[in-house]
Amino acid sequence: MDQQRTLVVWCPDWPLTAAGTDPAIPAVVLSSARVSACTPAARATGVRRGQRLRDAQRFCPELTVLEADPEGETRAFEQVVALVEEVCPRVEMIRPGLLAIPARGPSRYYGGEESVATLIRDAVLSRDFICAVGVADGVFAANLAARAALDDTDGLCLIPSSGTAEFLARHPVSVLDLPDLTDVLVRLGIRTLGRLVELPLRDVLARFGAEGATAHRLASGLEARPPATRPPGEDLSAHLEFEPPIEQSEPAVFAAKSLADLMHAKLGERGLACVRVEVEASTTDGQSLARLWRHDGLLSSLAVAERVRWQLDAWRTAGRLTGSLARLALTPDQVVIDTGRQLPLWGQAENDEHVSRAATRIQVMLGHTAVTRPRLAGGRGPAEQVVRVPWGDTTAPALPAEHPWPGRVPRPAPSIVPAEPRSARILDTTGEPVTVSGRSVVSAPPTQLVVGRETFTITAWTGPWPIREYWWDRRRSRRCARFQVTTDDGRAWLLTVENGQWAVEAIYT
Amino acid sequence: MRPSRRQRAAEALAKVAGTEHLYTALEEFSLPVLPAFHGLLSGLPRGQVVSLDAPGALALALLAGASQEGSWSAVVGLPELGAVAAADLGCDLDRVLLVDRPADRWADVTAALLEAVDIVLLQPPARPQAGIVRRLTALARRSGCALITTGGWDGASVRLRVESSSWLGVQQGHGHLHSRRVKVVAEGRRTGGRPRSAWLWLPGPDGSVSSAELASVTNMSERQASTTTPVSSTHQVA
Repeated sequence: MDQQRTLVVWCPDWPLTAAGTDPAIPAVVLSSARVSACTPAARATGVRRGQRLRDAQRFCPELTVLEADPEGETRAFEQVVALVEEVCPRVEMIRPGLLAIPARGPSRYYGGEESVATLIRDAVLSRDFICAVGVADGVFAANLAARAALDDTDGLCLIPSSGTAEFLARHPVSVLDLPDLTDVLVRLGIRTLGRLVELPLRDVLARFGAEGATAHRLASGLEARPPATRPPGEDLSAHLEFEPPIEQSEPAVFAAKSLADLMHAKLGERGLACVRVEVEASTTDGQSLARLWRHDGLLSSLAVAERVRWQLDAWRTAGRLTGSLARLALTPDQVVIDTGRQLPLWGQAENDEHVSRAATRIQVMLGHTAVTRPRLAGGRGPAEQVVRVPWGDTTAPALPAEHPWPGRVPRPAPSIVPAEPRSARILDTTGEPVTVSGRSVVSAPPTQLVVGRETFTITAWTGPWPIREYWWDRRRSRRCARFQVTTDDGRAWLLTVENGQWAVEAIYT
Repeated sequence: MRPSRRQRAAEALAKVAGTEHLYTALEEFSLPVLPAFHGLLSGLPRGQVVSLDAPGALALALLAGASQEGSWSAVVGLPELGAVAAADLGCDLDRVLLVDRPADRWADVTAALLEAVDIVLLQPPARPQAGIVRRLTALARRSGCALITTGGWDGASVRLRVESSSWLGVQQGHGHLHSRRVKVVAEGRRTGGRPRSAWLWLPGPDGSVSSAELASVTNMSERQASTTTPVSSTHQVA
């Protein structure tokens, strides 16, 4: 089947444009501690996407750092989408900052691809958004064309059908955005898409599996997956009527999660995946809004629900969605055969499906960071030795636990570790507060521990164990001494004294 | 002819006997606990509630047995729980979920987890509503998940509490904590109405949980003498 002519509109560095940053100021947007976008000014100094913040700041110490805000980006991008929709309908959002349109219809209507591209570019530029427009066969090639267009003075790049393969062949394999695969390819000496296409598809499939075959198809200018022809009239969509209609978006997002589950199940039992998913919301006053989102069979149900949240937010902010929500529908658009994902053979066990479902359900209820998994980390105090990683994230602790940590509080570990140390008072036999001198001399043996309104009699004590940490870092620098005491109620306490202030760091109970 | 009262009573009894049989079958289906607890509990009963007096090492040790065998556990509403202590007592942290601050959604969160994991350790708010308590107890029974609560819980089949506890290793101004001997008392339906008690090392000098009955204490004190190490100098620079 011939590839569809596709037009891609790309707004470079959208996360920064959405945040309202001046392109002349070096600034970066971070997501999971890596640079996900940067301004031209930052790029000029050597900052690149995927860098760690530390490296980026080495290139450019005066860097402004922003946190990623996908909802805000979608909201802001809604303006661009509205502009493009005035020229032609059926806009497909790939992600905030990037959208695609099937080019055949509009180019017939407006008399040629170039005139459509010019119209769209001018419409977007009229609101002072920087953009580039590329037209080629398929989304992948059109996206690359849009990137090439940015260097052109007119911001347009049209690749004819006959020239798409040649155009793609020039690009390095890294544009596939499959780091695990391209890493191997480069080491095998296959540096450009042209070289990859020269290899027979069967051999690539045999060596690299479904992922390799996808890459080969993309590189030869085909869709990532062969399209699946379906008998017409089969309903693969999932929808839900809200009775009574709902005002807030939270229940809608929760519904979207289960709708996405339902849609995935319907597709899954037919062995299909969808390229795009259409989010359609209807209100009680008869309004109906729809938007396509790129899916590619890669989004989890939670990811779909997240996009629904962004989309509802964006519509509400733009004032296009007023009144309460009566119906929400998810429709798969352009179904393809699902080639599946290769699960790891051993190790990295897949999470239990029930657990994963419950965890994501709670995340929808309470937010992404509400469900965590403990990971052991390096540190001396009990609170530093654990980091809580949100469910679904794979961030490794900054400090490894295996290294020797001289001066670490000896085992056993306390079973109660308050997030913030609780202030306390330690008194000696005369009722005077116990102090520790700079030379670690205790003024008198402690006999009473006062925490809040409770007073405990100390039966045994040990310390001080002085700690001097991070003396080179003014913010984290810390000088204190630790004590362990046991009290008459059978508990034991880990206490710290810092600048004459006593605090309960942990309780052994 | 109407059945006599005696007949009806016999029928009713037969029905009850049937269900009773069912319940015992269910009860035999329980999650493993660390061997040291065998004097108190043969296992964590699935679908039943075990209540503890307060959060602490006892709660973590109860999770450890099943966690070692590959069960998933979830901890709700206990942001202060020491994960390092849990790992030391034998919990597999890869299969632990934490929901630290469920706020007023604690019941929904617990309900979602009861259907997914094998053990839920829950710290309910100070006075949970009786209706919610009943609902969660029923949900636990239906899903076959063991629910451990800290603080009181109506309908708990076993109540465990630490009756006496003494930490060893700290002297007047020297030493460091190395072990704790506790007396744990279990009461409730599953213990046959009679409280059972056991002395445990929680944790012992080697970090594990083991029995601390008098017979084993003499052995332990010999082991202690050999494992106690002096505290090294802690004046260190990071």
